[in-house]
Amino acid sequence: MRQDDDTRKDDTRLGRRQFFRALGGGTAAAAAAVASVPLTPTEAQAYDPGNAETRSRYRETDHVKAFYRTNGYETLKK
Amino acid sequence: MARMKFLCDADRCIECNACVTACKNEHEVPWGINRRRVITLNDGKPGERSVSMACMHCTDAPCAAVCPVNCFYTTADAVVLHSKDLCIGCGYCFYACPFGAPQYPRVGNFGSRGKMDKCTYCSGGPEADLSVAEYEKYGSNRLAEGKLPLCAEMCSTKSLLAGDGEMIAQIYKERVIKRGYGSGAWGWKTAYRETIAI
Repeated sequence: MRQDDDTRKDDTRLGRRQFFRALGGGTAAAAAAVASVPLTPTEAQAYDPGNAETRSRYRETDHVKAFYRTNGYETLKK
Repeated sequence: MARMKFLCDADRCIECNACVTACKNEHEVPWGINRRRVITLNDGKPGERSVSMACMHCTDAPCAAVCPVNCFYTTADAVVLHSKDLCIGCGYCFYACPFGAPQYPRVGNFGSRGKMDKCTYCSGGPEADLSVAEYEKYGSNRLAEGKLPLCAEMCSTKSLLAGDGEMIAQIYKERVIKRGYGSGAWGWKTAYRETIAI
């Protein structure tokens, strides 16, 4: 009867079955380690446009004053 | 701080649609989108009324309240703007807006309509003032140039008013005191007889 590689006493190399046994154990340990890490969801952030984007752009220039004057009646024309 | 507002004097609007055309031309608004439009009530009947409508830049804007990605923001001038980089084109703002202001470049289902487009009060968007990127996405930034929205400046009958809310309210009050309002306005009875009243 032919002896399996794994059962040979004189062979010091890692056999096929031992290899997969070791691999399976290691994978299970890694999976357990991953599962035990608590999930840390990042908090949702609302869009903050910043001061530069929300600053006032309206200026009462001569152009704007002319618009008010021409749209108004007598009291605004004075 | 001045609060920017639109006010359409319905006694003066003649439905010429110059405001609509001026807006589309100034901002190179694509086909299928109208940031401003003229609504006519009782069309063809005595006493018909036309009102020029666009985004009214609400104080507590419902579009901003329903936006799932919070792409809306209000400037110090009380102008409601949005970021097209963040917009996902879901269409919620269109359903929330009482004025039908939000528009989309394409007809489609959720997410396939493209980025929302609406009146910016001629004040651009989040990009740097008067930059090419700002113009391509939002159109011109007249407020940064020291001007007012072109739709109001173009109005031939001076029906559409824009600017500081207190100032244009004062202008409108003066008009009502001088000429009256609706069926009490000067010339109404000549045009529509005494039987039609608003």
